[in-house]
Amino acid sequence: MSLVSENIPGLSPLEKLRSLNITPTVALSFLVIAIVIAWSLAPQLFSGHSPVNGVPADKLSAPSLEHWFGTDHLGRDLYTRVVYGAASSVSSALVAVVIGVVIGGLIGLLSGFFGGWVDVVFARFVDVLLAIPKFLLAVIVVTALGFETINAAIATGISTIAFFARVARSEVIKTRRATFVEASFLLGGSRGFILLRHVLPNASRSMLPLAVLQFGESILVIAGLAFLGYGDPPPSSDWGLLISIGKDYLKWPWLVYAPALVTIVTVLSVNRISRWLRKSH
Amino acid sequence: MSNAYLTYAGKRLGQAVIVILLAYIFTFVVVSILPGDPITSVLRNPQNGFSEQEIAEIIAAQGLDQPVLVQLWHSLSAFLTGDLGMSMRSNRPVATLIAEVLSSTLILASSGLAVALFLAFTVAYGTQVVPKKYGQGLLRAFPSLFLSTPNFVIGLFLIHLFGFQLRLFRVIEPDGFWATFFAAITIGIPFSAQIAEVLIANLDHEAEQDYAAVARSRGIAPRRLFATHLLKPAALPVVTVIALTVGELLGNSLITETVFGRTGIGSLVQRSVSTQDLPVLQAIVSLGAVIFVLVNLIADLLYPLLDPRVKIVVGRKRRHAAADDAALGLEAGAKP
Repeated sequence: MSLVSENIPGLSPLEKLRSLNITPTVALSFLVIAIVIAWSLAPQLFSGHSPVNGVPADKLSAPSLEHWFGTDHLGRDLYTRVVYGAASSVSSALVAVVIGVVIGGLIGLLSGFFGGWVDVVFARFVDVLLAIPKFLLAVIVVTALGFETINAAIATGISTIAFFARVARSEVIKTRRATFVEASFLLGGSRGFILLRHVLPNASRSMLPLAVLQFGESILVIAGLAFLGYGDPPPSSDWGLLISIGKDYLKWPWLVYAPALVTIVTVLSVNRISRWLRKSH
Repeated sequence: MSNAYLTYAGKRLGQAVIVILLAYIFTFVVVSILPGDPITSVLRNPQNGFSEQEIAEIIAAQGLDQPVLVQLWHSLSAFLTGDLGMSMRSNRPVATLIAEVLSSTLILASSGLAVALFLAFTVAYGTQVVPKKYGQGLLRAFPSLFLSTPNFVIGLFLIHLFGFQLRLFRVIEPDGFWATFFAAITIGIPFSAQIAEVLIANLDHEAEQDYAAVARSRGIAPRRLFATHLLKPAALPVVTVIALTVGELLGNSLITETVFGRTGIGSLVQRSVSTQDLPVLQAIVSLGAVIFVLVNLIADLLYPLLDPRVKIVVGRKRRHAAADDAALGLEAGAKP
């Protein structure tokens, strides 16, 4: 069986690419994510304006060639603010997912692999995390930690632990029952060896699309926390914060719709990639 | 009511009580162990104008001078007798504060749930009866679009369109009919997307079954196929999805109430967050856990009665696999 599923030699790069089954929407989604990542890595390359200092004479001007998303109430270029806000809006979602995957994955791995009382203890803990509404959980954690975007990310990450723990546990249990794991036990593999060499890689494969999905959701949750003012204060420009500022200027609706559209397109792309990963793996 | 069912119900009830207690303790630990000290940040804040004597009184009344474990014991035993403690800021019972705003949030949440169910079933119905060339793909895109849109954006869009442009409601009267209606749409849309995703996946799965093919070969209209054959088996897992996500309505009320300027549990949370009123936060988070646990208990107890195919087996139940998939938004058809 493994002979067939290994990479077939002699496949040209083009054919390999075709076998990945990338549809136009998936390609577009990757493009969107690439742009957002580029925004967060080097925002100064994408805009000549300052994200903090505005030109008061230009305040609240409509979208134009000079100001793609218009300007805000202080005359700052909104496109520039969105570009500079990408770093904290998107990388904080990454922090959240990493926290969720590492802690949740570890809990799931241990409780799925060892079973018994380890499983019972962790299962109760996960039940408790699941019982508390996720957004409320994030709000109280960020309240306890202090209002900063990084704390909002940590809070969001904690609220996703239960999700990853459950997925990891069920994947580990599935893998543990596989014949090759049994064979490895018979060949004298130690528990630790089997856990790291066989169970972890196989169980983590199906975690990837879910981690990507959760990445998109974390962007939304962190935007929600920023919207409520639980992220970095102005003049930082998290997308949620930009929308929150914009809502006081609804007569100039681009102040809401431009950052909102960027957020929606980003999350849509992330979700599309997650769906594609799930189908193709 | 078989014996096995009663044993299962008793066991589930016991679990529910344990989870509620643990959730209370967990919340207590989070708000009291993590850095951030309400005494210095709120009580000693010169803006609030508490004298040293008043501060000492509040600290003594709240028992903040005692070790954390003693505080936890007092707080937990009070919680068990239904006493939620006193607010740190307003010196009123937390239960009263919550009772004052609960009805507003209940109206919002229940109408939001109604909107969510209506939208989800309408979209799911459309995916089964609308032909491919007349925009079925568009209908199928709705859930993922709704799941990718922050709900405050939905709220602001509705306010902008119906409040400002069409002047259908006045933003300064948040409890009017139209304002409540649009707030319910705001809170209901992300929720409807989750229900619709599961519903559509289940409908597609059922539509591929042999019995559906037989019905079609006998010349049944798509509408009748949906109503008489597909809907019932596909809609049952929706009970699980609702149970798993209904607690989120409480969390999402925070944003919806802020956007629409409503008073309710959400705005109470926000006020308590900004004043670090920990007893109120503790109570509301525990309330959220209680609601979640109770709703899931009811769903778990109803499920074997609603679906005779579900056998109660000792240990973990069969329903959980479906529930996990539903919670993860996995397509039922794609699973082996």
